[in-house]
Amino acid sequence: MNRVAMSQPVLHPTLGRVAALVVALWLGVFLVAPVLTMTVGFVQPADFLRVLTRSSTWQLVWFSLWQSALSVAVTLVVAAPVTWLIGLHHFRGRRLLRAVSTVGFLLPSVVVATAFLAVLPRSLHYTMFAVVIAHVYFNIAVVVRVVGARLELLDVQLMNAARTLGASPTVVWRTIVWPLIRGATVAAAAVIFLYCFSSFAVIRVLGGPRRSTLESDIALRAFGIGDISAATVLALVQLVIVVGVIGVVRRLSGREHGLSRLATLPLTTVMHRQRLFAIGVAGATATFVLLPIAALLWRSVQVGDASSLAAWRTVFDTSLTASIRASARTALLAGVLGVALAVLTTLAVVRLGTIGRLIDMLSIVVLAVSPVTLGLGLVLTFDVGWFDWRAQWWFVAVAHTLVAFPLAVRVLVPAWRTTPIGLHQAAAVLGAGELRRLVDIDLRRMRPAIVASLGLIVAVSLGEFGAASLMSRAGGETMPVMIARLLSRTGDLVRAQAFVLASLLAVVCIAALVLVEFALGKSDHVARR
Amino acid sequence: MLHVADLVVVRDGRRVLNGVSLVVQPGERVAVHGPSGCGKTTLLHAIAGLVHIDTGSISLNHHDVTHTRAHQRGVGLVFQDDQLFAHLNVADNVSYALRVRGVAKRERFIVAKEWLERVGLSGFQHRHTASLSGGEAKRVALARTLAGGPNIVLLDEPLSGLDDELHDQLLGDVRSLFEQLGTTVVHVTHDRAEGAALCHRSIEFATLSDKVASRQT
Repeated sequence: MNRVAMSQPVLHPTLGRVAALVVALWLGVFLVAPVLTMTVGFVQPADFLRVLTRSSTWQLVWFSLWQSALSVAVTLVVAAPVTWLIGLHHFRGRRLLRAVSTVGFLLPSVVVATAFLAVLPRSLHYTMFAVVIAHVYFNIAVVVRVVGARLELLDVQLMNAARTLGASPTVVWRTIVWPLIRGATVAAAAVIFLYCFSSFAVIRVLGGPRRSTLESDIALRAFGIGDISAATVLALVQLVIVVGVIGVVRRLSGREHGLSRLATLPLTTVMHRQRLFAIGVAGATATFVLLPIAALLWRSVQVGDASSLAAWRTVFDTSLTASIRASARTALLAGVLGVALAVLTTLAVVRLGTIGRLIDMLSIVVLAVSPVTLGLGLVLTFDVGWFDWRAQWWFVAVAHTLVAFPLAVRVLVPAWRTTPIGLHQAAAVLGAGELRRLVDIDLRRMRPAIVASLGLIVAVSLGEFGAASLMSRAGGETMPVMIARLLSRTGDLVRAQAFVLASLLAVVCIAALVLVEFALGKSDHVARR
Repeated sequence: MLHVADLVVVRDGRRVLNGVSLVVQPGERVAVHGPSGCGKTTLLHAIAGLVHIDTGSISLNHHDVTHTRAHQRGVGLVFQDDQLFAHLNVADNVSYALRVRGVAKRERFIVAKEWLERVGLSGFQHRHTASLSGGEAKRVALARTLAGGPNIVLLDEPLSGLDDELHDQLLGDVRSLFEQLGTTVVHVTHDRAEGAALCHRSIEFATLSDKVASRQT
């Protein structure tokens, strides 16, 4: 809430303070305590020396950095044409193309990696090409959504003004468009970099045995080799780099320049001479996004060289059914807990001044802790007496709550801030107390955004692989973990089963995120009222 | 001299300009009147090279520019809503046309300063565009267009949205500036008095075409 609203006596800070306390407790127990346990309880100064003086550590860091940088560069190049098309032009099918280009981001990393196993020829399996192309697949949506949204705010008349002043298209791009989208582009690049830097499932499924990022090596050391102290040191190195990148990006993004076009102003139509190019861009993007999914479905009905529904029939086998059940209950619990945490966090952010800003910052810092590190910390911390929760199925949901709730907060805060203060004032003079107004006004107006948050958390939980791969126990593996296990086994039927699970997961995640889109549309509608 | 002949612009299957013709002599200022939505802005954008022309021709100083791209036409356009570049300061906005021609920064700054003085905005060089009032922004937009030395200046209702006093003051300043410079101007407006005060002659948009022009942008 803005300062004016916060200074309103009608918005007493008590509820916000209670919310802040609950959020701080939750994060203290499930985030801060595990990170502290890892660093204080499992690492000696000698471990730092041992790990940091090994050349293999720096090779890991170097590989993680350059593969991320390469993925960012290729993603920006591949996404640029479709971002230009969607961001600046009005044409039939624009919304559909935007939705299609977002599909990759909605899919769990394991599903995307599996889809590329399905679509790429065997000679390209376990190569850098496979890793980078999978990263590009995920992240096109980031560029389209972040940079495209910024382009949509750019008034085409500004570009026309520059053209009438003698600027060629290249000069217009360099002097007018780029300064206005630079911040968004840097932000998108940073998000892509961070995703790729902590890439786990893609590296594990597509990278082959010789390639390892910091994230995958942390998991290997912790649970493959049992070298917890080395895993913890690597997790801290990763954390420092991630925080450093976030800091650099915040500095680089700089001040955002005001963009003059209102959302209601029309986009430009595709010019005659650009039509062929636009059709090519739309077709190529749709093919790039949809082909791996089609291949996934196709490979799910292929056992060896023959077409067969055998793998689909085994969905009702014990192990596969158990993983579907485990994913469903984990996602539902994570959804409920995550929404509660996100709503409380948002309440604290919009109602409190400095404390609200601190809570907001904390919810961003959570994103800097990778899922593997989080899972490792939770497993190491909660292993004693009454607090030995490692074998509990719901413990995975707790980890997923932490992974997903910051994203939900980003959805809820802007929606909550649209509530007019006048509604609270009107309800207050009619006798409604703080809690009553919270329920009747804020939460009621927020319903679509809350539904969107629920869908988002459920989708993230369904596809989450890093924490779940460390925390899932035999017989209770979530679907992404089961997919990875099936892919690591030999046999045509087993491989087809992995494609079946990946297909199911893709369909459910896309459905969840269609719900998010729908709910966000409604949320915008509420905000305008 | 501007010569527009039988201009047709079709957008979304609709004829926005339907056989429009217009001749403007060098140094002449012509006002084009018409109600909102009749196609005035589209006509200016067509002359400036900002919209695709389906048929017809445009020539400037006896050179056919029908298919010349906007940045190579030498046509200046003052937009209704100014379209100042928010990421550049006032001086950089005014000297933008010189920047794209590769003029050195120091020289650009001197030119911008001169033009700002001419439009009554001395000392505004380092101001941010967001800090300008409506009238000041319009003066900057005009200076930016004129600083590029265009062959012809197109004005798209540049004085709309100002209060009466400011409107009249700016109108007088713009007219004397154009008289000093001998600028060729096409000024579209729905305000007949404004057109009459600024221009040598006024034309009804509907008379530019013997066919009925439908909706505009």
